[in-house]
Amino acid sequence: MIRNYLKIAWRNLIKNKGITTINTIGLSLGIGCFILIALFVTDELSFDQFHKKADHIYRINSDILFGGTEIHMAVSSDPMGATLKKDYPEVEEYTRIYASEGSRLIRKGTELIEEFSVAYVDSTFFNVFTFPALKGNPKTALQDPNTIVISEKAAIKYFGSVDQAMGEILEVNSNGKTLFKVTAVIKDMPKNSHFHLDFLISMANVNYDFGNYLSHNFHTYIVLKEGTDYKEFTTNFKEVVAKYLLPQMSQYMEVKSMEDIEASGNKIEYSLVPLKDIHLHSSQSIELSANGSIKYVYIFSAVALFILLIACTNFMNLTTARSSGRAKEVGIRKVLGTEKKSLIFQFLSESTLVVVIAHSIAILFVFISLDWFNNIAGKEISIKALLQPQFLIFLILLPFVVGPLAGIYPAFFLSKFQPITVLKGNLAKGMNKNTLRNFLVIFQFTTSIVLIIGTIVVYQQLKHIQTTDVGFNKDQVLIVENSNLPDETRKSLKSEITQLTEIKSASFAGYIPVSKSARSDTTFSTEIVATAENGFNMQYWRADYEYIETMGMEIMAGRNFSRSFGTDSTAIILNEKAVALTGFKNPIGKKLYKSMENNEKTIYTIIGVVKNFNFESLRQDVGPLSLRLGDNSWRTAYRFNTTDVEGFISKIQKKYEAASPEISFTYSFLDDSFLNMYRQEKRIGTIALIFTVLAVIIAALGLFGLATYIAEQRTKEIGIRKVLGASTTIIVKILSKDFIKLIVFAFLIATPIAWWFMSSWLRDFAFRIQLNWWVFALTGIITLLIAVLTLSFQTIKAAITNPINSLKTE
Amino acid sequence: MILQLNNTSRVINSGGKKIALLDNINLQIEEGEFISLMGPSGSGKSTLLNCIGMLDNFTEGSYTFLDEAVHTMKEKQRSKLYKEYIGFVFQAYHLIDELNVYENIETPLLYKNVKSSERKALVADMLDRFNIVGKKDLFPSQLSGGQQQLVGIARALITKPKLILADEPTGNLNSKQSTEIMELFSELNNEGVTIIQATHSENNASYGSRIINLLDGRIVSE
Repeated sequence: MIRNYLKIAWRNLIKNKGITTINTIGLSLGIGCFILIALFVTDELSFDQFHKKADHIYRINSDILFGGTEIHMAVSSDPMGATLKKDYPEVEEYTRIYASEGSRLIRKGTELIEEFSVAYVDSTFFNVFTFPALKGNPKTALQDPNTIVISEKAAIKYFGSVDQAMGEILEVNSNGKTLFKVTAVIKDMPKNSHFHLDFLISMANVNYDFGNYLSHNFHTYIVLKEGTDYKEFTTNFKEVVAKYLLPQMSQYMEVKSMEDIEASGNKIEYSLVPLKDIHLHSSQSIELSANGSIKYVYIFSAVALFILLIACTNFMNLTTARSSGRAKEVGIRKVLGTEKKSLIFQFLSESTLVVVIAHSIAILFVFISLDWFNNIAGKEISIKALLQPQFLIFLILLPFVVGPLAGIYPAFFLSKFQPITVLKGNLAKGMNKNTLRNFLVIFQFTTSIVLIIGTIVVYQQLKHIQTTDVGFNKDQVLIVENSNLPDETRKSLKSEITQLTEIKSASFAGYIPVSKSARSDTTFSTEIVATAENGFNMQYWRADYEYIETMGMEIMAGRNFSRSFGTDSTAIILNEKAVALTGFKNPIGKKLYKSMENNEKTIYTIIGVVKNFNFESLRQDVGPLSLRLGDNSWRTAYRFNTTDVEGFISKIQKKYEAASPEISFTYSFLDDSFLNMYRQEKRIGTIALIFTVLAVIIAALGLFGLATYIAEQRTKEIGIRKVLGASTTIIVKILSKDFIKLIVFAFLIATPIAWWFMSSWLRDFAFRIQLNWWVFALTGIITLLIAVLTLSFQTIKAAITNPINSLKTE
Repeated sequence: MILQLNNTSRVINSGGKKIALLDNINLQIEEGEFISLMGPSGSGKSTLLNCIGMLDNFTEGSYTFLDEAVHTMKEKQRSKLYKEYIGFVFQAYHLIDELNVYENIETPLLYKNVKSSERKALVADMLDRFNIVGKKDLFPSQLSGGQQQLVGIARALITKPKLILADEPTGNLNSKQSTEIMELFSELNNEGVTIIQATHSENNASYGSRIINLLDGRIVSE
């Protein structure tokens, strides 16, 4: 029986080549997108699942509000982990990662290579996390000082092989060189881990003032005993704060109890985030790597589903539209004694056959486009992911879900025909008016319009980010890394390069207004005795005389640091936001107090106000910030003005390499680093664009097929109209009118949906565009144009056919 | 007796008016009869055939088929009944275009869940009997009208029905093909199959054992 069905199905497919092609292309694209996005989503959801204790590992987050700006950090204080383990039996184990110091130079022969995936970890690191060892026992490897565990990749890079690396000495440079013994080699950390370290150094080598509950610099993870409710456990942090933080805090300022802190509107709170949730649900400051977002997982899942539905809709529309061709068969089969349910089964097996074919093409399409997709999505999904048992089952089952999904409506529609009406031959009447089909066309175009509007808005916002006034001039600033240059070399290089005609100014700038650069948050007070009321936190950056000029920032009041004033070592420049926090009406000349150890104070005099500049992503509002005079060894920033950027760079590179041949010249441009902060948005934009184009293509294909059939069905009507004197234009109008109505209707539905979605997306940005009416109008026009163009192929063809031919067909 | 109609009518609503397509028909047909329904277009021949074939329903009266009361049956029972005992032959042949001759004839057997080997044997017999073995792989569009109707009849006979309903079976054929088909019907009738045919042609009607004339939905003479 099923063979008979498939035979008929196959012959039908061959007979209607046009429709078959449209259906297959549409479904292939739809299923292809669906599989790609499924791979993307599976990958996103797989983060940190591979640890044996994954379900019981939590990271401590800190939420601190002090003087106006609340900061949510992925780090906590150094004693926190140990304190929890000591005081609470639910805590089985803790471990810390200290990665606050950035990159390190590691020696390979005569060369020093800058490595970024370096961190200090506790010896308990491998008790908490599961990273299999290739050599040595990582659980004991980091107990002694001057020990290091490296990844397979690092072992091969520095020693040639895993075997050769074991027990060898590695030289790591930061403020002088330190030698480490390789005590274990681990497999490279999986891609789907929220941190990637190739060099794990013993915590014993950290140069840090341990025991400070008030400085938050350590990524701390704890393992809770099975059956512990982590949310409930969080309530213990109040106790910890009262018992350990408060005594330390009262050394610096006048606070006696937690109530004092809370009464002034400030807070010090800690929470736990499950390890498995970090990648998709956590976006604290100082994350170990840029995380994904569950929001985009939802958005893309929805897009995948909608594209698949658009493709299925094509199938439904085209199959029901040409039902007159199948109706006779249905009638005969019913007379010959078939039951409705076996007809339904027949049509379902037919749609499944089409989907199986489309599915095979889609998998091919995924194979071909995976590299390209990885590239735009910033992923490293391998073809092997397709062959994972779970994914394989998904792939095999997919056509048997999509097939019936696409076929169920046509199956019921077709099997409904009464033999007597069908066999009499008067069927096609009234077939054009199909409410559900109209609804499906509206659905397709509503989805397409929402996607088009969404894409335009994402691109507008990206453009806005690039052109908005961020308070500094990010163009034509070269940032050179100074890692480990001796002070004299660094200074002489700067004064030498400043002589170049291309250079407008140069500054030693460790703190730069793009993320992933140094930050330092410190407490100030407006009076000598700090209280919870007059105290506030702000960024506290070291800058030199040329900093403001080099960064292209603007002084709003007072003055910049100047060599002609001998007293500028205690001078401070605030941004407008910080001025607002102090409450000073006329800030110039006012004093600020910074708490030091042993209740000592440093007193600063405000000499100037700098215009607010965005030093974090435009998602966030500008926070309070201060600049004080000081030297930064890490980087030199050069503001230049040249059209020959390459020549300029190589000129500078030569000077640096001549001065320190051993260190590789590392540079970046400020505007690139700035754009890097919006890489995720850019990716989203590109992915959205691609899927929108595909969705529109699939929808247009469907419209094309539908128009073909409608025109065919109305051949006789068109013939008669032409004989009666209708012009080509009138015919085209008659044939297009119904579709245009549907698209206008789709536009009316899509507009508020798109408005709502995009407003809520834009709300993530403190600096955002306004939604413009013309975007909607433009989208409407684009969609109409696409529709009219698609339709015109068929309608014009139908309209210019000689009526004699069409009337003869009777 | 194969079927009996007592005061059966078929009344439809058309634009608010009631129109009787069949008006108070009384008819009794014995097994082995060959009935010819005659009458002008619109006299109700096709409607009567369709109603007897259970593709359509009488709206009034009682219809007994093989001692079962059809008018009280549910759709499902009716379809089971006609599937079992009735074969249809159409003026426009109504073969499935996507299936070849062999497959067209085989289709009713599929719906009766006949085993594959048995199907093969039955279809082969039928092809043999109708002398169309050589054409079994051809599609309807490759056959002449007469050949298509032969296939149509073969398909109707494959399930060994007790009753064959033929609605103008030769309406689309030339006179030579017509004669062949009518002679085939006579032959089948001689073998014991009951046949009811609707026809315009006196000549075709004469093959029947009994002629019933219809006009405006009523039997006017026998």
